[in-house]
Amino acid sequence: MPDIKVTPLGAGQDVGRSCILVSIGGKNIMLDCGMHMGYNDDRRFPDFSYVTQNSRLTEFLDCVIISHFHLDHCGALPYMSEMVGYDGPIYMTHPTKAICPILLEDFRKITVDKKGETNFFTSQMIKDCMKKVVPLNLHQTVQVDEELEIKAYYAGHVLGAAMFQIKVGSESVVYTGDYNMTPDRHLGAAWIDKCRPDLLISESTYATTIRDSKRCRERDFLKKVHETVERGGKVLIPVFALGRAQELCILLETFWERMNLKAPIYFSTGLTEKANHYYKLFITWTNQKIRKTFVQRNMFEFKHIKAFDRSYADNPGPMVVFATPGMLHAGQSLQIFKKWAGNEKNMLIMPGYCVQGTVGHKILNGQKKLEMEGRATVIIELCSLYSPLAHADAKGIMQLIRMAEPRNMLLVHGEAKKMEFLKDKIEQEFSISCYMPANGETTTIVTNPSVPVDISLNLLKREMALGGPLPDAKRPRTMHGTLIMKDNSLRLVSPEQALKELGLSEHQLRFTCRVQLHDPHSDTDTLGRIYTHLKSVLKSYSIQHVPDGTVIVESIVIKVTSSAEEPNLKVILLSWSYQDEELGSFLSTLLKNGLPS
Amino acid sequence: MDSDCLSLLPAVCLVLADPKQSPPDDTSLEKLLDWFKELHSQSNGQVLLQHQPCLLEFISSVCTSKTTDPAILSFTLKLTGLLAATTQGFHLFDEGGLLVYVFELEAWGVCDLWEDASVRSGWLQGLLDMLKHQQALGFICGNGLIKVILQLQNDRSLFAACLANQLLVHILNFLTSSNMTSGSDVVGSSESSLRPDWVSASSEIMNAVVEALSSEDCPQVLQGLRLLSLVLSQCGEPIISTLWKDVLVPLEVLVNRGSESLIQTLITVLEAALGTPLLSQSEYKVEELLEAMLGDGNRKECFQCAALIVKLEKCPEVLKRKATDIILLPLQCVSTQPQAEKGINVVLKEQLSQKASCISLLMQSLSSLAQLAHTKYLFEDISVHSITSSVVLLLRMCSGHCPSSLIHINTFTHLIGCCKVQRCGLDTLGALSVYEENLDLRKDIFGVLLDLLQSPDSHATVSMCIFVYCMLLILAASDFLPSKLIDLFPVLEKRMCDLRWEVRDSTLEFITQLTAALISNSGFSEALHTSGMVSVLLSSLADAEGYVRASAVAAVGEAVTASFHQTVLASNSKLLEDALVQMMAILSQDTEGFPRRAVVQAFTSWLKGSHLITALESSLSSVLSLGGSDFDWEVKMHTLELAEVLMEKTLTCCPYAVQNFGSSEVRFPQALIKFKDFGLFDLLFNSLFDCDRPVCEKACALLVKLRTLTAETADLDHCVLVLNVCGNRWGDEVQRRYLNKQQAKASVCVTNGVTGSDEGTDCDLHCSKDISLPKILQILDLDDMQRMLTLSSDHVVNSPRSLMEDILSAAQQSEENIVDCY
Repeated sequence: MPDIKVTPLGAGQDVGRSCILVSIGGKNIMLDCGMHMGYNDDRRFPDFSYVTQNSRLTEFLDCVIISHFHLDHCGALPYMSEMVGYDGPIYMTHPTKAICPILLEDFRKITVDKKGETNFFTSQMIKDCMKKVVPLNLHQTVQVDEELEIKAYYAGHVLGAAMFQIKVGSESVVYTGDYNMTPDRHLGAAWIDKCRPDLLISESTYATTIRDSKRCRERDFLKKVHETVERGGKVLIPVFALGRAQELCILLETFWERMNLKAPIYFSTGLTEKANHYYKLFITWTNQKIRKTFVQRNMFEFKHIKAFDRSYADNPGPMVVFATPGMLHAGQSLQIFKKWAGNEKNMLIMPGYCVQGTVGHKILNGQKKLEMEGRATVIIELCSLYSPLAHADAKGIMQLIRMAEPRNMLLVHGEAKKMEFLKDKIEQEFSISCYMPANGETTTIVTNPSVPVDISLNLLKREMALGGPLPDAKRPRTMHGTLIMKDNSLRLVSPEQALKELGLSEHQLRFTCRVQLHDPHSDTDTLGRIYTHLKSVLKSYSIQHVPDGTVIVESIVIKVTSSAEEPNLKVILLSWSYQDEELGSFLSTLLKNGLPS
Repeated sequence: MDSDCLSLLPAVCLVLADPKQSPPDDTSLEKLLDWFKELHSQSNGQVLLQHQPCLLEFISSVCTSKTTDPAILSFTLKLTGLLAATTQGFHLFDEGGLLVYVFELEAWGVCDLWEDASVRSGWLQGLLDMLKHQQALGFICGNGLIKVILQLQNDRSLFAACLANQLLVHILNFLTSSNMTSGSDVVGSSESSLRPDWVSASSEIMNAVVEALSSEDCPQVLQGLRLLSLVLSQCGEPIISTLWKDVLVPLEVLVNRGSESLIQTLITVLEAALGTPLLSQSEYKVEELLEAMLGDGNRKECFQCAALIVKLEKCPEVLKRKATDIILLPLQCVSTQPQAEKGINVVLKEQLSQKASCISLLMQSLSSLAQLAHTKYLFEDISVHSITSSVVLLLRMCSGHCPSSLIHINTFTHLIGCCKVQRCGLDTLGALSVYEENLDLRKDIFGVLLDLLQSPDSHATVSMCIFVYCMLLILAASDFLPSKLIDLFPVLEKRMCDLRWEVRDSTLEFITQLTAALISNSGFSEALHTSGMVSVLLSSLADAEGYVRASAVAAVGEAVTASFHQTVLASNSKLLEDALVQMMAILSQDTEGFPRRAVVQAFTSWLKGSHLITALESSLSSVLSLGGSDFDWEVKMHTLELAEVLMEKTLTCCPYAVQNFGSSEVRFPQALIKFKDFGLFDLLFNSLFDCDRPVCEKACALLVKLRTLTAETADLDHCVLVLNVCGNRWGDEVQRRYLNKQQAKASVCVTNGVTGSDEGTDCDLHCSKDISLPKILQILDLDDMQRMLTLSSDHVVNSPRSLMEDILSAAQQSEENIVDCY
């Protein structure tokens, strides 16, 4: 039976890094190629050797698909293509191709800044890797080769994020990457056709969360920022180059406008220009509101948000600063943090994931005292957490299943316990199998591909003329005909039509049989005796005695010969076509028993 | 450090053993294990266990709890294995019966935890780590664990299955080595010297391999073959020959069956066998099996086998030749005229008639050829010339050109525009260029390359391959190039205007490499400057794509360097002038880091050149100032590298000297003044207080160098170089540090009841705006700064103490932090 095999190298019952191998219809596809930022050695990358077993990745993989630009989905790509060695096609959407190298470069800089870092890709490798990328448009079906095709659907989550449908023949898989079923400030909600894939591979980060209202979270965030600014404090928001920062900027910009606030908002390191450039370039990927108002006012050209200079950090009075890097472990965000941390009027807002060992991670863990540079102790009096949560929650995942109507479900990118809960829920509600393989475990899904066959009208009419029921999709029935497989199409036609279409002449198959019997008469008399005997046995059949020395019953021809040495031993030759198989067999048995005396 | 950590260990153990706590993230557990490994390698398991009784308590409590988290259990199993790797550690575990409790499945395997792949992997890893002494082997064999390991060899988790194989090989190896040390040398023949349970263990493993190979279940056969190849490559005699004798029959069956899914693994087994003494003994049939894999070239699978066989390092020559003949078949078939085709087998024809198999066969053929060429393989019966011609023909077919005599071949339609074959073909041509026989084909090859470059339909990745090959061709025979430039340059100019940034960028990278490689080739430099190429390069500086602008900067940089190797032309200074204007604009305005970095690197490269570039002098101070205040710390780093070259050049030969300074004593103060004019001190001091560590470190190193030179120049007049410390950031920092120092000094003096002698002078200092350079360097305490910068790399703290603190504080955190991913 044909099957689909799925082996996560990453994201199997964890949220570390996504890298999922799918084998479908003889094709091998890698879905995402993420990096685990929590390690500083080779463990941060997926171990490709488990799959290739001594062969080259290019020989093994038919293509790589990247769902979006977050590093846990694309961070290992330059390592794989330039250091391990992969020359095949890599597919991602246009915005992902544009933004991916920025984040890779951003992280490369963070990494090489660390001491003792080796075996990491260079800027040149990132560029060379990007040259291998084939960009895609939404809803565009791309033919990877003759059999394999892929199609991208809108996923929300971040600019350019996409879900992918992978199809080989009649088998298909949909991979969601990370997605969001509710629109946010700048992006729309994920959407997919009712494509009924054999398998839907979905992220399940918030598998057990039925999220509190987004408005509430936004209100809390704005309230905290407002309160801090009102009391003359400063707000630091460490962010990464692109992504969530833009949503927070729109949120603050709108709020500042509405409340007519005067405190300055700054965005550090020239990232605003870069971000604006991409959001303008890919405006069609944002939500309807942003697209609509774009002509009058570009939402990404902020009135209140200005470029930051590091001397501003010493300015008195309130301010809000977005600074990089987001994990608060080096650079400008850490420098500002060190300056402001001791003052209880100030506030720190951590919107993103932080690697163990970073200041950001320690703060998220609730540490109040930090030792830096081996001596200084900083006391953090006040900090808070806000995350815009750009993933689908349990409700969203169920909604997507309703949309796509998959035959099987497979959960990745989540914690085992939470997945277990959702798996039960899905199996109960949709009566489909749901899988959740761990990293390195292969799940095999047997598919039952339906093979469409066209039937000729003549054959159908003939079948109906025989008095059978009318064709009904819900009631399968057997039909006889000749199956023609030509140019990837299958047609069932009558044998006559098949002969005619294919220009073939009909061949007749005849069975022959020899029966020996002792009869002292001449050959002609023996034949006459056979004729008489058959006339008496087969009363309802027309039996002919032809003058050329044969007896014919239906298609059966009977002849008699004898040898000169032994004239009494008669050899009776019988021959019949396959339609008269039954009668032919009967006659041969009958004659073997001898002729009546 | 370790004593700090060890004091935290009991608390950490309590947190980890507490089933109510959710486990820390997976990286924390892995890093904790890394620390234990390090600690263990420094001392030994016994010391650690004796001094840290909490570890035994922790392991015991985790293994007795039914509610343990799988991640914690897996960690515990690995930790136990690590600690029991010494005999002393092993005995400590064994005394209390704890080891049986940890590794015996009956103890806890009944619960669902075994279902978790990480637990099974942890169990295997634990045993693997522990297996460093005979007692461990006795434990594994005596408790019937071999059976479980053999079961895990077919585990649904790739990781567990792989670990199980490793462990089995380790056990077999250990059995042999234990046997060796006990004085006998053959497992089979002197089994009596081994403990009976060990003998049965080795035969259990070997029987399992034979059974797996005889199985009808493909995954089981695969696992058996993997174990067999591991044994062959990692074990010694007598294991190898004993096992080989047993597996030979099923192995022959598998080879003759020729199942496609097993080919790769079967070849791996035979490759491993080639490296063993089995090869030299005919009864072991290693060569025979390899030959059987190839068959008579009439099987679909034989091409894949041949491709794998030509790669084998220790392959017997006859076999390699046979495989090479098979490898060449698809290529010959495609490029041969129909009447010569008669001898070509049916299977091959059928394969070539279908697009997918045709492309994959040709790629296999081409890449194997490349592989052979890389080893300078001698194709004895076949001429390299004809092979190369076939590859060239194949490339022509890919571009849609096909000789009319071949046009009926349907393969041709499969090949048109096939970038996979084009890339592979170009790589193969590159590899074949090592053979001198191909010299007269250069013209043809160059023609094909130009055709491919000319075509706007050529895939971007194909262009990259063309450039790589072009460079090989040109470097191998630079005499060949000049006549071809007239054809090459217009095509390159066309590609520099390609719609795809990837192609524009690769073209510029190629021009840069070409210019650098042919810098002494006057014909090339002249053509570059007279062909109009330079103006296209200059216009590329305004490309919409940052990557392309950066490559254009590098290309222009090389072109300028090349122009200085030429006789002075008016166009040369014009080029430099134009380049400088645009490059300065990029450095000050470009929104992307790559082009800005490239500009500073171009300046550094110009400055490093032996030619005096006085024309640069006016721009240098702007470059140092813009580069030093860039957003991107790597631009700052490159600027500091530029500063370093500037310092070296000025202090050694002083290329900017208007007049000859004479002796070095005179030269140094003059150079300092020059540095001041360039704004070099502002750059160094600002960078010293930068927020990015590598920048501070580099600036600090340069300042230390300056300080040494200042100190060496004994009679340096301190008034020669006075810097204004007011109104800039670094000046404030210097003053602040100075005041702190003074306060500290004063408090010491007050305690001691003495008044500082130079108080008056210092008082002047912090009122003064101008301070001499040596004084500043003295105030800054650069050695201390350098030490600190080397100590604290950044704030991703990798110390075990910090890790433990994180684990403890995460446990105290009551609410879950849901944060977005990066």
